Amino acid sequence: MSKQYLTLHTVDNAHIADIFSLAATKSCILSASGSSTLHIHATTTSSSFPLIQSISNAHRLGIHHVCTSRGGPGHVAVSAGFGGELKVWTCKDTGDWVLYHEIAPDKSRAWAVALSADENFLAATTEDGRVVVWDLAAKSKVQTYETGSTSTGGGPFGLAVDLSRDGRLTASGHQNGGVYVFNNDTGRMVYSLSGLAKPVRAVAFSPGCKRLAAAGDAGIIALYDMEHGEHVGNMGGGGLGNAWITSLDWNETGEYLLSASLDGKVKVWDVARGACVATHSETDKALWSARWLPRSDKALGPGMAKGEMFATAGANRSVTFYREATGIDTR
Amino acid sequence: METIFESIFDDLANGASNLSIPYRSRTATARSRLLPDAHDSSAAGVRPDGLVTFPGRTPHEANKFASLLRILEISREAIATGTVITKRNIYYQNTDLFKHQRVVDSLVDDLAFTLGVGRDDLNIVAAAKGLIAGPVTLTMRNNSVIPCGLSHESGTLIPTPKLIRKIDFGLTAWILVIEKEATFRTLAAAGYHTKSLAGHGILLTGKGFPDLATRSFLNIIHSARPHMPMYALVDYDPDGLSIVRTYQVGSSSLFHEADTIAPELRWLGIRSDQILPSTQSTETSASTQSSQETSDGSGHEPSIAERSGDELSQLNRTPRPMHNRNAPLEALSQLTPRDRRMAISMLQGISQEQRVGDTDGLDQMRELQMMLMLNIKAEIQAVDNLGDITHWLDERLCE
Repeated sequence: MSKQYLTLHTVDNAHIADIFSLAATKSCILSASGSSTLHIHATTTSSSFPLIQSISNAHRLGIHHVCTSRGGPGHVAVSAGFGGELKVWTCKDTGDWVLYHEIAPDKSRAWAVALSADENFLAATTEDGRVVVWDLAAKSKVQTYETGSTSTGGGPFGLAVDLSRDGRLTASGHQNGGVYVFNNDTGRMVYSLSGLAKPVRAVAFSPGCKRLAAAGDAGIIALYDMEHGEHVGNMGGGGLGNAWITSLDWNETGEYLLSASLDGKVKVWDVARGACVATHSETDKALWSARWLPRSDKALGPGMAKGEMFATAGANRSVTFYREATGIDTR
Repeated sequence: METIFESIFDDLANGASNLSIPYRSRTATARSRLLPDAHDSSAAGVRPDGLVTFPGRTPHEANKFASLLRILEISREAIATGTVITKRNIYYQNTDLFKHQRVVDSLVDDLAFTLGVGRDDLNIVAAAKGLIAGPVTLTMRNNSVIPCGLSHESGTLIPTPKLIRKIDFGLTAWILVIEKEATFRTLAAAGYHTKSLAGHGILLTGKGFPDLATRSFLNIIHSARPHMPMYALVDYDPDGLSIVRTYQVGSSSLFHEADTIAPELRWLGIRSDQILPSTQSTETSASTQSSQETSDGSGHEPSIAERSGDELSQLNRTPRPMHNRNAPLEALSQLTPRDRRMAISMLQGISQEQRVGDTDGLDQMRELQMMLMLNIKAEIQAVDNLGDITHWLDERLCE
């Protein structure tokens, strides 16, 4: 059965440059773009999603990734600049975000970033295919996973990274279509997953940590079982010239997966049935990020309903918010 | 320059222990600090500029003095006789003295900078490598005439810009600056400069990174025809963008050279939206209201038959065949680590300049960021139709 999502609001011209990444907490959403500024919009106080903070000169050359912890308290965010530097931000009780720590560019620049659910660990991919893990409390590097031989210049560019919510696994997606899963307790690679022959631009663990979704230029979403590392299915595809998928995000129950693609479409997938249940095309320009908004503990502002919400952003420089139509909500 | 020679002759006549030539390096000055090689202890007192002295403190400085003196002699004679000499010719005057062509190149540019003149004012030019094809006629100062529309296959070598007295543009309506010689030759051989739907035009290539003569020539064309549109066609990669930017704003190592830039040059392509699969939607997008699609099936994309139908209806709505198809994936390739370093270096350069109203700079920053996000690059061939790029150009030149 299909699912209805309404366009709740669009923050037009949220940035003066293309937006490349979104990260959500229970009360706000952070957006990062080719400009040097991080913008933060409230997500629970008003259906106009007002701008509540702008961090100017966060990254001089622009920002390509920003992340918060999925399923975590939402007090930490990490942004990655085109110059290769990473910045760790913390949210004070007042709601203001302040710089906590900066990680200088490495010889091989950091690219994608992910935070652990407890916000203690940061994982980042590099241009030479490594995945580096930092302990944020200790402000030190604690692990480096390799996907290629250092004697041959490293592995394929790491385009995507995610940490499972139980903290046990790290997954990375790479330029050559490779998907790798590492065990954080043993420090070893446990799976090298095949099935996507083109660059993998998004990887995401399900909230229950049993599934990994991966997608990219092949235009399909591959699903893997994390108990045995098996490729258990695909969603989408079937046609020629599928749009490159740039972003994946599971909702909190693990029933639905969000995907964004370069043709401007955002899709909601029913994972159990392997079917697309909703598609929106607010823009025909590239979408770079789609994120579910975590349910808030606080009371919502007037005009805001209780349906599940998600947000998208991309080359049209706006952030668009969607809400599940509550009339058909079966919960 | 005469003052320099008089000073040297006076020093010789007076039996001074040092001879000196004023000298300021472009790179040292660009770092906002003077880096004199030596200080003059002559009766004239210490000068604010750096000096190269003889015999100097090191053999290197002695050689530098002799090299500078030789270049000054050659330039002085060229000016006196009204001739022009190339840097290559200077090198071959004294290969043992100069040792490397790049030594001559660097000293000539530093000397021009020190004297506050352009290199052309020293009557020294780079050997031109640019090619031109188009219905224009150049009349040189020596009254020789160069028609540029006759050599279809190879184009015409750009003459020394300083020696051009007059340009007859005929019916020329546009100029297209092309990165690659191969693309230039293909278009010239097809007679695109006279057969384009946009009317008669000039094709010009700098054969990759443009030399000063080619850039000066473009500047002269723009000065003569300020309102004639100028376009650039380069690969979609950091080198291509660097070439466009060099034409537009000059290169950082030659910032003292006036009359070599073309800020009005417009970057026609190759751009990300011209090559990416699916970034151009063939569907009508409702911008004011969301269009939600729902499906009960497997969520498959429209079938091939359905897509073909869409494309056919798209074709029927245009008077000309659509050539807007996206690049075949084989034409795209991955950025190398060097490409990524260069893109980031260019981002740094553009953001540091921060020229007010530099919309070109912002546009280029965006494209560099897109390259880095996608991690891909593409050659001009990515948009041609089995080797024929003329339709693609017609559409964009006629917009």
